Amino acid sequence: MSVQVTEDQRDCYQEISNVAMGQAADKLARLLDVYVILPIPKINIISASDLHMALAGANTSDNVSAVCQGFIGSGIAGEALLIFNDASFTDLAKLMKYEGSLDYHGELELLMDVSSVLIGACLQGIGEQLELHFNQGHPVVLGQHCQIDDLVKAGNHQWSKTLAIEIHYEIENLNIDCDLLLLFTEDSVAKLNEQVDYLLD
Amino acid sequence: MSVPILICDDSSFARKQMNRSLPDNWDVEVTFATNGLEGLEAIRQGKGEVVFLDLTMPEMDGYGVLENIRKEDLHAMVIVVSGDIQPDAQARVQKLGAMAFVKKPIDKLKTTQILTEFGILSSE
Repeated sequence: MSVQVTEDQRDCYQEISNVAMGQAADKLARLLDVYVILPIPKINIISASDLHMALAGANTSDNVSAVCQGFIGSGIAGEALLIFNDASFTDLAKLMKYEGSLDYHGELELLMDVSSVLIGACLQGIGEQLELHFNQGHPVVLGQHCQIDDLVKAGNHQWSKTLAIEIHYEIENLNIDCDLLLLFTEDSVAKLNEQVDYLLD
Repeated sequence: MSVPILICDDSSFARKQMNRSLPDNWDVEVTFATNGLEGLEAIRQGKGEVVFLDLTMPEMDGYGVLENIRKEDLHAMVIVVSGDIQPDAQARVQKLGAMAFVKKPIDKLKTTQILTEFGILSSE
């Protein structure tokens, strides 16, 4: 099955992602009392091998920690992947007023808190606009203090080509940045395109 | 006489959605701009008495357009229609002289409400 999006559909995905990412950023901004810098989301059809490049491009050789959360509903399934630069944790702990030593466990807690806000709000935002409802699975830690290479192996994705929405979040004046990737299964793309076409009509 | 309206957004879907959200019986002449520079030029030409302005755009963003409107003392009532809805973004555009801030996604109800609130559309 070929996974494709037209130029109009891509523009629509981008705008929908833009709105959803704004809603998620607003939640994070209010939680942490900061301003989140919002870029233009990237919409791509990628293969499993490109995913490696997309991730490697998003983060450099820095160590990262990542959470993955599956979602399913309305005939659509996918995975949300949130990748944090490990350098972010010191500032993040201050903002979250985290008390106690920032060990693996402490970082895990912060990672889970932020990912539930960003992933949840983003999926809900996309769902609302496309009139879809997603149920989220439990978040799974893919790794802490690891390299992107290890992450991709751990993910062990079962698809060849898929639709990817990539959003890079940065917090103004602070050393905090992360990447949110929404990956939809090959089979979901036709249904997603259908919903997008309703909006474009 | 029809009101010159400018819709300034880099996304063609967003421009279409905005255009569809204009009230039905409003007599308007709509101009579209795909970035801030184009938008500013249209305002200079008097094509934007009411402007629906996106914030995140290439060439010149919405903040830049607002700054220039003020600098050149142009006549435009600007309604920012934005996906960036953080408290800071709202405060920044208000400080730059935007008349109102509307959260995306836009719809006819929101547009009608805001236009009525500012007396641009009479509420009969």
